[in-house]
Amino acid sequence: MNEKKIKQLFEAARLETLPAPPPDFAADVLRAVRREPAAKPDEPFSIFDHLNRLFPRVALAAAAVIVFCAVADFTASLPGVEDGAAQVSAQILFSAEGL
Amino acid sequence: MSDDAELLQRIRAGATDEFAELVRRHQARVFGILHRYEHDTQRVEDLAQETFLKAWRALAQFDGRAPFENWISRIATRTALDHLRRDKRRKNEIGFDELGEDALDWLRSDDETTELDSRGAAEILDLAMRELTPADRVVITMQEIEGRSVKEIAAATGASGAAVRVRAMRARTKLRRALEKLAKL
Repeated sequence: MNEKKIKQLFEAARLETLPAPPPDFAADVLRAVRREPAAKPDEPFSIFDHLNRLFPRVALAAAAVIVFCAVADFTASLPGVEDGAAQVSAQILFSAEGL
Repeated sequence: MSDDAELLQRIRAGATDEFAELVRRHQARVFGILHRYEHDTQRVEDLAQETFLKAWRALAQFDGRAPFENWISRIATRTALDHLRRDKRRKNEIGFDELGEDALDWLRSDDETTELDSRGAAEILDLAMRELTPADRVVITMQEIEGRSVKEIAAATGASGAAVRVRAMRARTKLRRALEKLAKL
């Protein structure tokens, strides 16, 4: 299948007669629209509405990041096993009373 | 006859009946778009109704910066894309019984002067495009048959311009392979 034949195929397809909508189509749509329970076309829907909707998610994500950072900071500041062992040794070896 | 902006203003103010006029103005375009992806008349009508209902539900989001016909075309294209994704019957159902004699002759002929009518072309493309993913099909249809720009396709599908270019190239290659496969059957 060469390029020329594919072009010929597309060109022929472009000329296809498209179907006309049935005469009562608009009325059918209108009936369906009237059955819509939640249709509120006159309500504004601005960028602020979007943000308000998204806010719980944004707040949750921000809280998760804060908690993660706090845990990471706390974990990093804890003495490691080596530090702990050295501290215990020092307390035992250099205490005033000794063993 | 008022323009779409005035009509939309009245609809938003509560004149629901005016929505029928908006439908009448744009129904031919919507049917035309949907027919490229579905040839069953009843299904096209159902999809067209779905398109206008989606538009009604999202009417408050239409800001009027672009013409209403662009917006409704985008909704129709996305409705068609959803339909293709839902419609599993298309997969692995390639058969010559769906092709007319003229289409078969054209497909099997090496002669580039063999004529092909629009109906035959639509039949062949419908069959070959079943080998493509729904997104590939939408991109190639919009680009090659509807003559839309990359920018328009990107806006309709929600993809970037670069992604559309890459997909169009891949889809064309896949389509060529599918046509070759059909010609060999």
